[in-house]
Amino acid sequence: MNLLAAKKTYSPGSGLPNALSKGSTLRNGLWTNDNLWAKVIQLFHLFKNFGPNVALRDIDLRVLKGEFVFVTGPSGAGKTTLLRLIFGAERPTSGQILINAINLNRISRSSLDLLRRKVGFVFQDFKLLPKKTVFENVALALEVTGERGSFIRKKTHQSLRLVNLAEKEQAYPLSLSGGEQQRVAIARAIVKDPLILLADEPTGNLDPDLTRDIITLFRNIHMKGTTIVVATHSRERFEDSGQRTIVLKRGKIVVEK
Amino acid sequence: MRLRLWSYFLRQALMNIMNNRLVHVIGLGTMFVAILIFGTFLFLLINLNTWVQGWGHSLSMSVYLEDGISEGKRDMIASWIKSLPTAEIDRFITKEGALKELRRVLGAQAGLLEGLSTNPLPASLEVVFEKGEGLRLDPDRIKKELEKMEGVEEVQYSEDWLKRFKGLMSLIRVGGLIIGGLLCMGILFIVTNTIKLTIYSRKEEIEILKLVGATDWFVKTPFLLEGAIQGILSGILALLILYSGYYLLSTEKIHFTSLGVFDFIFLPYEYALLIFLASVALGLVGSLIAVGRFFDI
Repeated sequence: MNLLAAKKTYSPGSGLPNALSKGSTLRNGLWTNDNLWAKVIQLFHLFKNFGPNVALRDIDLRVLKGEFVFVTGPSGAGKTTLLRLIFGAERPTSGQILINAINLNRISRSSLDLLRRKVGFVFQDFKLLPKKTVFENVALALEVTGERGSFIRKKTHQSLRLVNLAEKEQAYPLSLSGGEQQRVAIARAIVKDPLILLADEPTGNLDPDLTRDIITLFRNIHMKGTTIVVATHSRERFEDSGQRTIVLKRGKIVVEK
Repeated sequence: MRLRLWSYFLRQALMNIMNNRLVHVIGLGTMFVAILIFGTFLFLLINLNTWVQGWGHSLSMSVYLEDGISEGKRDMIASWIKSLPTAEIDRFITKEGALKELRRVLGAQAGLLEGLSTNPLPASLEVVFEKGEGLRLDPDRIKKELEKMEGVEEVQYSEDWLKRFKGLMSLIRVGGLIIGGLLCMGILFIVTNTIKLTIYSRKEEIEILKLVGATDWFVKTPFLLEGAIQGILSGILALLILYSGYYLLSTEKIHFTSLGVFDFIFLPYEYALLIFLASVALGLVGSLIAVGRFFDI
């Protein structure tokens, strides 16, 4: 056991949950625990309120490493809020969130920045920069890590090939179709080889053919060992995938299969 | 931090400036004018100070003698003066000489003196002291000593008005500090708002940067550089204009009656550096204030 890491267990604000101190080590500025890597996402009695509205209530969930999980439910069920909480973009009203054994309630801002480099997020509205090319949009996720230029170029090309957009890397997002923009967003999320890939309604605005392409793409990424959580209101689109599904209704898990 | 990152930050900062040209030109112009005002004030203050010090370097004293003073007493006073360090009797003005001088000064109005039955002007000894390095003269003490001597009516010396002028200089200095402080606050306000506008224009990009794992400093640094660049350009421009002004003044000798020729000097190296560094620091602090509250994503 790393003695330095063990000592750091007792320092307040280290981002390490006391209950998980045994065997924890500090890697690249983040506390991790090899014993618990099997569970990459753990949610304990999670509540989230927005003023008087309860968005999530008493969510208990474990996601194992390499799992492909669907979160479904009608609009307003709390799917996006759940993903945003896992991503650290929102703070829970109560309850605990552990991502790769890191307690998000106790994580510092700088550690959260580092954690986000290991969690990819595909946003419903893509969040692409219109004044940057496809290549620049994808490379942005690596620019922030301070990697070497040659490494960034190599990884960006790889990522764009994987989503079949290699020939469009100099194009601007607004000149692309909805499906292509979605694939750029996916390329940006996977370019940093994330441990977890979160996708919020990735096929929401796409026709059935493009939806199939995106589903195939997610399967390919999953095959590489990435843990994937997809929030979608239309589970039927993924019906043949045979993956774990969590159904949310009014902020509560009602079915888990 | 890696060199590659710094080149990225610099590119971003320059891109921000290019994308918000108008805002930056206005901000830069205002900051430049404020620094130029401050620099001009400092320039004038330093020159005034130098002139005053130059005038104070030599002390002149007029020793007015009583009417009918004997030659022996006058020689005694003269020899006492000569015994003082660096003292030299420039000239002895007789009563008649003084009246003649007054007639010359009055010129056309010299007729006013025609009605005088007696010459009211005293004879005097004009004394000059050279203030050498490390030698401190006490004109007040010399004046008192002389006035105690028999045959001396009154003593006047040139530092009387210098003292009053130095008082005025202190007042100008305090005024300069107040104006400088207000200008600094103005500059901070300008820079902060310029950077805030560029932050607003890049809000979407900042949000995405934070979502892909950029640290606060990664996002903030280009804005800080932007402020610093604004400070660097304003400082250089202000110093260049100030030097041009000095150059014009120094080629034209400025004459003041009775005070001689004013030779201008440019700001000493350390003052010019201070203005430049203060300009950069104000740019940096202004942008630091602007970025302070923008990163709660």
